[in-house]
Amino acid sequence: MHQIQLTHFHTPSELHQSLSLSLYIITFINIMSRMAEPLAVGRVIGEVVDTFTPSVKLNVTYNLNKTVSNGHELMPNLITTKPHVDIGGEDMRSAYTLIMTDPDVPGPSDPYLREHLHWIVTDIPGTTDASFGREIVSYEAPKPVIGIHRYVFLLFKQKTRKSVTPPTSRDRFNTRSFSQEHGLGLPVAAVYFNAQRENAARRR
Amino acid sequence: MASATTTWSMSSLKSSLASIPSSCSIRCSFRPPNSTRFRPNKTKPAFGSFLGLAPLNPLPTLTSGNNSYEHNFTIIDNGGRVSAMRHGRRVPKLNRPPDQRKALLRGLTTQLLKHGRIKTTRARASAVRKYVDKMITLAKEGSLHKRRQALGFIYEKQIVHALFAEVPERYGERNGGYTRIIRTLPRRGDNAPMAYIELV
Repeated sequence: MHQIQLTHFHTPSELHQSLSLSLYIITFINIMSRMAEPLAVGRVIGEVVDTFTPSVKLNVTYNLNKTVSNGHELMPNLITTKPHVDIGGEDMRSAYTLIMTDPDVPGPSDPYLREHLHWIVTDIPGTTDASFGREIVSYEAPKPVIGIHRYVFLLFKQKTRKSVTPPTSRDRFNTRSFSQEHGLGLPVAAVYFNAQRENAARRR
Repeated sequence: MASATTTWSMSSLKSSLASIPSSCSIRCSFRPPNSTRFRPNKTKPAFGSFLGLAPLNPLPTLTSGNNSYEHNFTIIDNGGRVSAMRHGRRVPKLNRPPDQRKALLRGLTTQLLKHGRIKTTRARASAVRKYVDKMITLAKEGSLHKRRQALGFIYEKQIVHALFAEVPERYGERNGGYTRIIRTLPRRGDNAPMAYIELV
């Protein structure tokens, strides 16, 4: 432990304080990037989007009590209807786009149909929720067949309103190319959850 | 030690500090970083990914002395084991006799190779890593003898043939480490710590 090292030396108290302050600075600088750590571990950053710094709050809730947290698992019967999505942002003039994709189709061991698009809502005003936006691709309930799928919610900041058009098909969707062709850039927030097929044995 | 800190001065540090958040609670699948690693020659604290191994709030432990050292040690419910060390333990026993243990590991590797991502307890996930890596290594070599060895371990033939077909292009450049473990919430029935294990 580096704490033990400090106490072994007969250092003046100023040196001691300066080292601890420097550690504080480093943790402060790294806090925003550490909020994206579960996304990096779950390979959302890497397979779906590139590395970004989350700057906007994003809360996704199914059925009023099931909040989506990174890497947690939800039952497929809970996620059949569209969730309630709250976003942050500075004011209501900025417009945001929410995209929900599944990068593990048809199965996580061999995802050759990556990705499958489930939902797009555009022109969401900042600090409101997704019902204030325009749903250009309607919500499709996730139906994982093989293995445990990740379902990723991505929030992009739009430069202008009405700049996002629906893609041609839901299959073989590519988030990076979609954001590039509509000028969305890197996402400002992301969250993901896991889901697997519910069979008769899982009656919890 | 003193050489690295002479480049900083108190006034420059204090002026560069904007506001210090007192605590950051991150809802993620990690345990809070609390491992203790002794670095005798480290003068500057490491940046980036290494920070995950440093204690999250070093200041309270610096100032409060001996009473808070227990927060830095791994606090896991170990199912009755008294010590937190692993001296000399080579094989994870998984609370089963040897034949059942082998069958469990065979079944878990078969399912992992079939589905790509499975959810089990943490102990089983870390025990199965070795066998999955072994199977993928056998598939990388690709000869008939290795194929028959894999057929003797994995329960389903189709999976072995599919494995031998796709492993060379999928894991050709990667040397080892073909799995990833992501810790997650404990199981509701018995509070067992769970984890996802997935092929890289």
